[in-house]
Amino acid sequence: MLRFDGVVKRYAQPEGEVTVLAGVDLAIAPGEAVALLGESGSGKSTLLHLAAGLDAPDAGRIEVGGQTLSMLDERALAALRRGTVSLVFQQFHLIGTLTVADNIRFQAALCDRLDPAFEAELVERLGLGAQLDKYPHQLSGGQQQRVAIARALLHRPPLVLADEPTGNLDERSSGAVMALFRELVQAAGSALLMVTHSHGMADYLDRRLWLHDGRLQHAPG
Amino acid sequence: MRPAEPERLGGVLRALLSHYRRHPWQALFLLAGLVAGVALWSAVQVINSHARASYAEADYMLGAQATHWIRSRSGAGVAPADYIALRRAGFRQVFPVVQARVATADNAPLAIVATDLLALPTGDGGEALDEADLDWLAFIQPPYQAWYPAALAQELGVAAGDRLALHDGRRLPPAVIAAREQQGRQILMDVGAALSLLGREHFTALAVGAITPAEAARLVDALPADLQLEANQQRVDLTELTASLHTQLTAMSLLSFAVGLFIVFNAVRFSLWYRRPTLRTLRLMGVSMRALTLAVLAETLVWSVIGCALGLAAGYGISLALLPGMSATLQNLYGAVVGSEVLLDVRTVALAWALTLAGLALALAWPLLLQLRGPVIAANTAAAAWRDDARARRVLLVGAAGMVLLAVAVYWHMRTVVGGFVLLALVLFAAAWALPALLAAAQRGLGRALAGAPLARRWIVSDGRAQLPALRTAMMALLLALTANLGVETLIGSFRTALADWLDQRLGADLYVNSPRLDAPRFVADPANAGWLAAGHARTGVTLRWQGRPAKVYGLDTTTPDTHRLPLATAAPQALARWSAGAGMPPPILANEQAHYLGGLQLGQTVTLPADDGPADYTVVGFFHDYGNPYYQFYLPREALERRWHAVQPTGLALWLTPGASEAAAEAALQAAGVQPGEWSAQGDIKRLSLKIFDRTFAMTAAMNTLTLLVAGAALLTALLAILHERLPEFAQWRALGVTRRELLRVIALPLGLFVGLTWLLAIPLGALLSWLLIHDLNVMAFGWSMPMLWSPLPALKLGLLSAGIVALVLAIVLTQLTRKLPQAMAQLGSAS
Repeated sequence: MLRFDGVVKRYAQPEGEVTVLAGVDLAIAPGEAVALLGESGSGKSTLLHLAAGLDAPDAGRIEVGGQTLSMLDERALAALRRGTVSLVFQQFHLIGTLTVADNIRFQAALCDRLDPAFEAELVERLGLGAQLDKYPHQLSGGQQQRVAIARALLHRPPLVLADEPTGNLDERSSGAVMALFRELVQAAGSALLMVTHSHGMADYLDRRLWLHDGRLQHAPG
Repeated sequence: MRPAEPERLGGVLRALLSHYRRHPWQALFLLAGLVAGVALWSAVQVINSHARASYAEADYMLGAQATHWIRSRSGAGVAPADYIALRRAGFRQVFPVVQARVATADNAPLAIVATDLLALPTGDGGEALDEADLDWLAFIQPPYQAWYPAALAQELGVAAGDRLALHDGRRLPPAVIAAREQQGRQILMDVGAALSLLGREHFTALAVGAITPAEAARLVDALPADLQLEANQQRVDLTELTASLHTQLTAMSLLSFAVGLFIVFNAVRFSLWYRRPTLRTLRLMGVSMRALTLAVLAETLVWSVIGCALGLAAGYGISLALLPGMSATLQNLYGAVVGSEVLLDVRTVALAWALTLAGLALALAWPLLLQLRGPVIAANTAAAAWRDDARARRVLLVGAAGMVLLAVAVYWHMRTVVGGFVLLALVLFAAAWALPALLAAAQRGLGRALAGAPLARRWIVSDGRAQLPALRTAMMALLLALTANLGVETLIGSFRTALADWLDQRLGADLYVNSPRLDAPRFVADPANAGWLAAGHARTGVTLRWQGRPAKVYGLDTTTPDTHRLPLATAAPQALARWSAGAGMPPPILANEQAHYLGGLQLGQTVTLPADDGPADYTVVGFFHDYGNPYYQFYLPREALERRWHAVQPTGLALWLTPGASEAAAEAALQAAGVQPGEWSAQGDIKRLSLKIFDRTFAMTAAMNTLTLLVAGAALLTALLAILHERLPEFAQWRALGVTRRELLRVIALPLGLFVGLTWLLAIPLGALLSWLLIHDLNVMAFGWSMPMLWSPLPALKLGLLSAGIVALVLAIVLTQLTRKLPQAMAQLGSAS
């Protein structure tokens, strides 16, 4: 589903060029859930951005769903993010002017993949039934994150990229949301690459990778 | 203050101001608003104070403020010998004046005014002319000199030393280009030069400077039988006369300042948003409220000094650019001539700074202090911003309702031009303050109407709610600018149409002659002219003072075509017939609208005018339109005028040609009768010239309007850039969800288009109301003339297109910024910051 071949990413800094990813190789199969761990500043988020086509590598090749990202133009990349890749961030980035129901349907509507039955299931399992007509600012942080998860999964994207999705929540809520998130990703049939600091969160996923000195290593479970 | 306090204050101020080092464009917006507002305001102040200074200087101009004139009873002029005798008798205040109209080889009319510079009494031009740094000896000795104002010399293509050729081949003395321009379009020369050039032996008149009643009595005794002393009735107080115009300009400049302040509001809102964390951190670190308040005030002071200095510099430049239009206005409306050199005075600088400080206190210091007074950890979410916005909208709406009530009260008690402008300001600002609530209501209504529409459409409409807080002030500024533009355009359009119609009615004759050498009644009666002349109307007139202003009473021929078609604004039944017949006691008289609106004269009322044989009473039976005339004017049948006033002067002759007759025949006959080229004009030329003068008169108004609209455009740009920068992470997230750039632009542009469209729609009735007030109240109070209001959709459509153009331009700039900044924002998505 996702493939990195020798991906290199460098950033220019005042003190000189810094290599964040120094030839990363990665393969995630359809439906597989992978945790990406690493120290702060190790390049985890950069890797995620590259996978979503939000940034471009300096060298190497990235494939998502069989499409080489470097071959895609701006419009094709937008289409890829719309239908193939879903992003979940620590900040929920809900659309404040739309109701919870509209926020959940937003991305599915963009790629014309509304699924009322799955929507009902997501709403029920995420406990959002009573919140549908509310606006995001009327919800708690945990509720907002649930809406962001529902939005990311409703159109059953082949790949979900998540960056510390429970980072804004307390430990108890984090565990509950994470468990649900994992289940729903599975229900949607999506592959998942999740950046996290927390080994506890990584436990919910199939395998874990460790990013260190710009290279990926398999981390012990 | 404790010793450590200044240092602490310095640190706080540095922390506050460091924000602008990181975000220089915010400093730029803040300055742009201040500079735009101060520049337009100060430009008008500079022009106004310069004009007033010119009026004071004009008081010294040759003859303009002569207290008396000595004229010949027979109209033959004053012999030099009589003048010399008066000077020898000790009347040093008396000086000779020769006035003549001539035409250049290209038939351009020119006025020559000549005097004896050495005879000018101190205070009547002496000091003013000293400054001209001109060669007096060369001026009074052959080959003499002709002094041209620089603008006239440029218009005629005359360089220093040139001898301008006249229509009949004579040449003026060598040209000297004078820096001073108070002489208007007149060429100044020595009396000796003028008499020899014009082939005359007599002066036109003698002017008399300041003189005591006892000296005046002695002077009357010393005059030969043919000469008489008459008070200079044409003496005017230009400052008083032009007060309304200057008030109008000041009002427009204050409007520009207000629109400029909207940019400051936007920029400040923007910088406040960004500085919340800094302020919060400072307060968490224990910086006292007192230190923060002082730092905020110090920041205000810094901005006021920089903004004011740059604004004044820009204002000076704008005033130089606007001055020609202003000069044209003043000269055309009031005959007041304003020089071309402008200077900033201390009063303008001090006022500009005070205004800037007041504006900044309102736009920067107050919101900053309010924020400081709030809780240290405040809700910093979009929802909080909307709640704040909803509260602000409610406050503005209540304020708007208050202003409407006040406006109604002012309307019923409005007596002065200043009161009229207060009313206009109340109407304009009430609408502007109500606008955010109206836009929010429209957005909500549209959202409800589209409840069943596809999500993408509902999303676009709903996003308007997120944009409104940032767009609020820009939309208010746009409404003010659009309304002012529409109101003033309708006023100008109505006035131009009224003037053109009036000219068509008034200028029915083919030729108009104004020559002191022509015996008009004899010329009209001459059988030799019967072949080409269908009718002639020789008018006579006297100048007198009525209600403290110069007033002219004209004697009209009641049988001529123009008198039959005299357009009356308001009249008693059968007014023209009664007036022609002189029926009733006191006899009927017609007065111009100025006498009605400014002089307070009513239909049917008796007006008393100072006739030669004592006060003369007349019944006012009608008021005629008299556009562009700042003075009072009355019409009597010619015989009625000459019965009560003996020293009437010919004031012009209108000639109707028989069908098929050529103008050439008429011109030949006129020249044969001693009329010189330049002393007659064809009807079409007068109409064209009048409308050209009209357009020049309103050039400055148009320029101010355009500038105000540009300032509003800048406010829109700052608002959109604020939206862009505040919401960039959100836009990046949308892009991460797969929203294309085009969809993103649609989300930004369509609500903006909706708001601009609604603002434009609201500006149309509001502009009509403004023009109605301007035409029916302000204009009448300021100038004393009325006209029908002509509403045309064209200015509204033009402004609609212009607004669309501004929005497109602003969106193009925003799109460029978006394209540049989005990749970085997308790369930072999800980072914990």
